[in-house]
Amino acid sequence: MKTRRDFLKSSALGAGALLLSGSQAKTFAAPTSGQPPMRFIFMHKGNGLFPSVMVPPSLSESDKAKENKRESLEVEIAKHELPAWMSVLNDHKEHLTILQGLSGKMCTTGHHTWQSSLGVYAANERLASIKWATVDFELAKLFPSPLEHIELACFPCDGGNARGNIHGIEKGFSARGPQQPNYAFGSPKVAVNELFKSVSSNAADRIRYELERKVLDFTAGNQAGLGRELAGLELAKVKNYADAMEDIRRRNKKLESMSAVIARNLPKLAPKYLADDLSTIDCQVGHTEVLLSALISGMTNVVTFTVDELGTLYTGVPGIEGEKINLHDIGHGKSVGLLKADEVREKIRTRHMALVDTIVRRLKSVPEGKGTMFDNTMIFYFPDNGETHHSSGIEWPFVVLSGRNAKLNIAGRFIRLPHWGQAGHMTLGNFYTTLLNAYGNPIKHYGDLDLGLNKFVADQTGPIKRFMA
Amino acid sequence: MRHIRAISLSVVAILATGGHVAAADGGAVAVGDPSAIQGLLRTYCVGCHGEKKSKGQVRLDTLATLDAKVRLDLMGKVEEQLHFSEMPPDDEKQPSPTERKLLMDWVRAELQKSNAPSIEDKLRYPDFGNAVDHDKLFSGTIQGKAFTPVRRWLVSPQIFMGRVIDIFRPAGAPYDKYLRWPISFYGVVNPFVLPDRAGIRDYAISPLDGGHLLVMLGSAQWISQKQIREARVKKGEFKADYFENKADRFTAPTHQAFASVILNPVKPADDALVTAIQAQFGLVLQRSASEAELAKYLALTRSAIDLAGNTEGLRQMLVAVLLESEFLYRLEFGSGAPDASGRKLLSPREASYAISYALGDWNPDPALAKAAAEGRLNTKEDYRREVVRLLADENYFKGQIDPAINNSDVVSHPKVVRFFREFFGYPNAVKVFKDKNRSGGYYDNPGRGSSATPGSLIREADRVVALHIKQDKAVFERLLTSDEFFLYHNLDNEKGQQLIAEWKAIYEALKDTDWRTNPEKVFAEHGALLKKHRIENGKGVHANTLARVMEHFSYTFGKGHTPFTTFPWAHGNQFRYSQSYSLPATPGVSGSYGGDDHFDYQVVQPFKIANRKGILTHPAWLIAHSSNFHTDPIRRGRWIQEKLLAGRVPDVPITVDAKVPENPHMTFRERVESVTGQTQTACWKCHQHMNPLGYPFEFYDDFGRFRRDEPLENPENLVAKAKGKYDADNYKTKPVHTEGLLRGTGDPKLDGPVSGALEMIDRLATSTRVRQSIIRHTFRFYLGRNEMLSDSQTLIAADKAYVESGGSFNAVIVSLLTSDSFMYRK
Repeated sequence: MKTRRDFLKSSALGAGALLLSGSQAKTFAAPTSGQPPMRFIFMHKGNGLFPSVMVPPSLSESDKAKENKRESLEVEIAKHELPAWMSVLNDHKEHLTILQGLSGKMCTTGHHTWQSSLGVYAANERLASIKWATVDFELAKLFPSPLEHIELACFPCDGGNARGNIHGIEKGFSARGPQQPNYAFGSPKVAVNELFKSVSSNAADRIRYELERKVLDFTAGNQAGLGRELAGLELAKVKNYADAMEDIRRRNKKLESMSAVIARNLPKLAPKYLADDLSTIDCQVGHTEVLLSALISGMTNVVTFTVDELGTLYTGVPGIEGEKINLHDIGHGKSVGLLKADEVREKIRTRHMALVDTIVRRLKSVPEGKGTMFDNTMIFYFPDNGETHHSSGIEWPFVVLSGRNAKLNIAGRFIRLPHWGQAGHMTLGNFYTTLLNAYGNPIKHYGDLDLGLNKFVADQTGPIKRFMA
Repeated sequence: MRHIRAISLSVVAILATGGHVAAADGGAVAVGDPSAIQGLLRTYCVGCHGEKKSKGQVRLDTLATLDAKVRLDLMGKVEEQLHFSEMPPDDEKQPSPTERKLLMDWVRAELQKSNAPSIEDKLRYPDFGNAVDHDKLFSGTIQGKAFTPVRRWLVSPQIFMGRVIDIFRPAGAPYDKYLRWPISFYGVVNPFVLPDRAGIRDYAISPLDGGHLLVMLGSAQWISQKQIREARVKKGEFKADYFENKADRFTAPTHQAFASVILNPVKPADDALVTAIQAQFGLVLQRSASEAELAKYLALTRSAIDLAGNTEGLRQMLVAVLLESEFLYRLEFGSGAPDASGRKLLSPREASYAISYALGDWNPDPALAKAAAEGRLNTKEDYRREVVRLLADENYFKGQIDPAINNSDVVSHPKVVRFFREFFGYPNAVKVFKDKNRSGGYYDNPGRGSSATPGSLIREADRVVALHIKQDKAVFERLLTSDEFFLYHNLDNEKGQQLIAEWKAIYEALKDTDWRTNPEKVFAEHGALLKKHRIENGKGVHANTLARVMEHFSYTFGKGHTPFTTFPWAHGNQFRYSQSYSLPATPGVSGSYGGDDHFDYQVVQPFKIANRKGILTHPAWLIAHSSNFHTDPIRRGRWIQEKLLAGRVPDVPITVDAKVPENPHMTFRERVESVTGQTQTACWKCHQHMNPLGYPFEFYDDFGRFRRDEPLENPENLVAKAKGKYDADNYKTKPVHTEGLLRGTGDPKLDGPVSGALEMIDRLATSTRVRQSIIRHTFRFYLGRNEMLSDSQTLIAADKAYVESGGSFNAVIVSLLTSDSFMYRK
């Protein structure tokens, strides 16, 4: 069977790499090590994630006591029963990490956090608050791909962070760099239309694609002409812009050269998932298929997926399909029908885990190298605002799934790190520093520091050394 | 002899590439004699930077063995040291000018070979603004003709928005209509970000790059869709009240030229397309397309229409024009025949934009555009006429000072205030996060929906600046020395006085009633009086209940003080940081009263605040020049050195990991001195130019509060733990020392020891060099570049204009914008 890697070697890189030169080759080529790239999926949710729901019910009494006291604890997941909402991941226990005890008090917390949970700074609605590229974009730089990064979102339509066009392309939760918000696809339909337009069989989509190409070709030629009689800094002032247009043209050509593999991996979605008016649950399912197609076809190695945010009005939740669930009300303990708020929370988390399971199983089915694509994948499921609805960031629970080749030594364990203020406490910044260091970015510390922590911890910078493989 | 061998390797490596250097006499000589460089390095450098001694941890004997990047960085520093004659030190043997030039040429050749920036490149950058010798610049001996190099200058974020507005703005409509909330341009992201730094931020040195393009691709789509929306409605594609995005309901008229293409049932003729192309050029680039451009655009439009029909085909042309780099640049090439010095005058059209963008963010107003079109922008008098007119115009440029940073005030000329923002750098206060508890709980960091305490402090600093700009007398001196400030001041003086009078009347009428025990009765009896101020008998976190209001009045009016003009419990109230001015805490903001409350709100502002003089003692400036936990005497001193004394301080050497050591028994000043003081000779070489100027500000802590003692914030010194959630821990203290040394004014009457910031500020404010230094920064702001020696006459004239006008900043602006530096390109 021809694997995806084989295909890329024989087609995309064979045809495309010759077209690339200089920085472009560096940007778009696969890692030179010959190893498949790592993939990273950041799936975040709104309304907080209670640390209490992360705990395996089968923990011993002494371990439960430690967990309750927020003391350092580490147990093998294989020996334990998963919380019911996570039980769909039973088959993936060896890859699973339940990580407790990180904090994120340097982030904006409370209802909405914008780019905070991925950037580790206090982001808000002002673009000026975006201090640097979020961690997903930093990882995308380490594992270049034609599209670099894709962001999908079930946008909030309510609350203080609503998006006007929840099924369009809107400011997302990631950032490309300082003051540069990323843009996310708000529905499977718009994501499919944009991401897969180069291989679309739809005539209107083809025309749209041709028009875009035509304008880009025209403009690139126009701008390149401006630089002919310039030199030095004045040349750079027009050349960089013209070069950037050339970059996009090359990227498009690269995607066109991958059209066969992209076409083969087009998301297979029933019409209801591509409808303009679809339930939140269907939107999540549709996005998951888009995410898988984008990863498997090699268009990107990093996907960030907002499964919900506080202002997402939930529809289609199994068992209460007819209800329009206001997550903010759930945050304030309001019941929905006969279900208590915590039960609704559990149902929603259970759906999220079903999506994670789908991703893991599908990636495990794609051969790659001597194993599968999942071997080269890490999935992070976490809240965008910390431990609860009105969070303070004192806890930031994570569910992580790591493939065999992941470079963090955490798989198969429930890990409770020391609580905020205790010796050995770690922050979101430490965790992301670990990730970046492990994959080749030597940054000393990623993210802002927690100023209040300084009096307890002599040095809060650097990676979590015990997690380094 | 190991080091000698290493030098040989380095020099030989350079020579092997065929480097030739210019000899001191100007003739080109091959550096065929590596021993010449070796000898110079041995004679002048390696004694201190070699194997035996490596001062500042710098060794020049091992250059050849260093990693390429480190070597180039080090050689870059060597070039700087040689260029500015900072090495060898004054007390060491000096190379002759010929020898120095030989060394410099060698370093330069090495840097150029690797495409590393050399001093010529660096001199364009803001860090090198003071590189030109100050005394020479103002000596009057330089008679060269001033000019600005031909250039493209990226538009500022504000000008970019102005250009977008002009695509949609009907003639005569005010600009700020489009900037009010909700944001009109939902789908437009500003591609430009100015760097955060104290000092001029917008230099004509930045190129467009891929990031700008990515943003523009999205914005161009949105703009083009909105440009044709009205015609599509007319065509019946959708109804006028249909919006795909309900939050984005912006509409604008479609230009007739576009409508005629869209509404045409058949493919349009070339004439119609040419008209449409010219219309888009006019809207976006503010000029007509040339014949060559027309031909290209016509071909594009025609082929796009063939592919996708009139509407979408036309839209591709609109997008393509929006993606022209010219939309994002200010073009200043000059026109006409060059003069004897090879300079060309800006074309009238270029001049109109240069003037308009110097004074504000918008394209030229109709009168300026008319003057340009009629060829009335060719002489200094023409420029003066327009600049003076626009400075007197209270409306055309009116807008918020900079909404990107905080909710700032609306003023007539935001850009003028922005100069002083950039010069002083106080808006950087929003970038310095603080531990709230250390403030005692009053300081809020910027967060969701608000730039919080630093945002408010910045607004209050803006008001000081705006006040002195408006008065336009001794502007620099007053900004440095005025002891009048603004605090809160959310109502103007008249309205504030009226409100306080009415509140006081309520207090006087009710103070002897049963308001505490029987509020219902009091409310029933005085309902009419209370209703006017929405004082009610209800409940609620933010409600103005009678008991709450009367208690508040008792603790303010009742003690002979004036309350602030907003109740402390008001929703969203953030006015509770009076401590940053070392004023008493604002009553009631913590939810309770008591203690020794004696806050007395000054309704009429500005008002005097003790122990403060000017912007350099304003909390916004002090916070902006502090770190998360400490004051920052080094940065504060550096600011004085660079911004007021026109001095230079080299960057931290790459070999230095600058850290202030912990020591529980020392003040922060003492800790800084322990690693950078006179005993640390290598560090002192640079720190002598900063620390003595920064220490006088130790009177103010890192929240901007005046102090005489400094808490030694170390667990070892803990006296009492904080009681409340946001209270501060209590530590042992030690007196602060604020003695410093002012050196570099060039005036022996001013230079010398100072006892503290206020004394130093008084001296600085009378210094000629300080005034001229501010003029130099003003030049950079309005010209978008560093001054060159050839700008000498421009600077002298601007300085003279300031002095002769009694300190008018407007006079400086007029002088600069009518200078040869501004008018000529070469």
